[in-house]
Amino acid sequence: MSVPVSQMWTVATYVLRQRLARRPRYPLVLMLEPLFRCNLACAGCGKIQYPAQILRKHLSVEKCLQAVEECGAPMVSIPGGEPLMYPDIDRLVAELVKRKKYVYLCTNAILLKEKLDLFTPSKYLSFSVHMDGLREEHDEAVCRDGVYDEAVPAIQEALARGFRVTTNTTLFDGASPLRVREFFDEMMRLGVEGMMVSPGYSYSKAPDQEHFLRRSRTNQLFSEILSKPKRHWRFNQSPLFLRFLMGKQDYECTPWGNPTYNMFGWQRPCYLLQDGYAETFKELMETTPWENYGRKSGNEKCQDCMVHCGFEPTAVNHTFNSARGFAETVMVTLTGKL
Amino acid sequence: MSLQGWVPDIGPYLTLEEVIEHAFDYRGNVTVVRRDGTEMVGYLFNRDAQGPEPFVQLFDEAGNGPIRVRYAEIATVRFTGKDTAEGNSWKAWIERKEREKAQPVPAPGA
Repeated sequence: MSVPVSQMWTVATYVLRQRLARRPRYPLVLMLEPLFRCNLACAGCGKIQYPAQILRKHLSVEKCLQAVEECGAPMVSIPGGEPLMYPDIDRLVAELVKRKKYVYLCTNAILLKEKLDLFTPSKYLSFSVHMDGLREEHDEAVCRDGVYDEAVPAIQEALARGFRVTTNTTLFDGASPLRVREFFDEMMRLGVEGMMVSPGYSYSKAPDQEHFLRRSRTNQLFSEILSKPKRHWRFNQSPLFLRFLMGKQDYECTPWGNPTYNMFGWQRPCYLLQDGYAETFKELMETTPWENYGRKSGNEKCQDCMVHCGFEPTAVNHTFNSARGFAETVMVTLTGKL
Repeated sequence: MSLQGWVPDIGPYLTLEEVIEHAFDYRGNVTVVRRDGTEMVGYLFNRDAQGPEPFVQLFDEAGNGPIRVRYAEIATVRFTGKDTAEGNSWKAWIERKEREKAQPVPAPGA
């Protein structure tokens, strides 16, 4: 695993503080969407399907920081839209780093080279580059030829300048385990700090419903990909979450673990489902009927979901809330065997 | 199937609450017709049907908002804006790619 020790320590102490305060629900990662505008139109993404007046809008830095303070999570992920199209992205990142938040700036890297001068390398800042596979698979997933060949040199440039760079990969039905393994090799060869993987999810507002993974197929696919992980592969995520994807752990969703804030407000109940919005984080946490979500609830929208934003918080809580979870994490980390 | 262009006929078989749920799921602008006859065009991004005073929230066509309108004020909602999700599927992209690949390569000098 490749999460830096300082980041792990921050998360561990944060989780322990929440436990000591006896908070039953707490956020781990704020998903902060300052805009929905994007320079790609990926079929798997429902985030950009809005009328023009919505795509033109964005949150102010002040609104973003207010959300960060309200939420209190130690990590902030900035997806979107394409955050590098946000006009104040440099100021937003600088303010977050000043607050010692671990920032994952999720980007397709098309603008990365051009915008790198806006940022200063920091242990708190990681560019999380969207890479859905090798050239052919990635360009197909993002519905535009040539994007892979733009992203790779941008990653190399960012690494050369001393930035933390990770990748985030969404796998859809039809993914070839062999090609995914080759892709992992390639990302490691590029020198990225770690990789994040997650299955796609068939949420109702995504225009492509056919290629998202069902639960058993997810287990099968990830088992084939990860059953003999190579020693040099590094993942920037909980090893227990990877075991969950392989069907070796049974977890329930923690929908409040990665709360989402955007121009509409605090999204209920999670990053993927859009069942409405709350005006404040407190309102989100206190008035969302959480019992209606997750697999056990019987909610049909949740039955096939195994996406990181709901289950990685569960895995992290398992690690830091139980001796067994901690021991399992240590064992997997030391042996490299998932 | 897209709801673009739908003019719902609210009555015993179709309630306002149902129409608002469809509008909430719709990825385009809608026209909210108030009981006083005035109309507002915008993107309906939120609704609360459970509270003591159910309401919807919109950003209007100029992006102003959020604007809150109570259910009690609404006569109907028309699906007047372009459905921005329509035709943007992965399937459509693959079909386009296949069509491009099937195009005959022009002969040199042609």
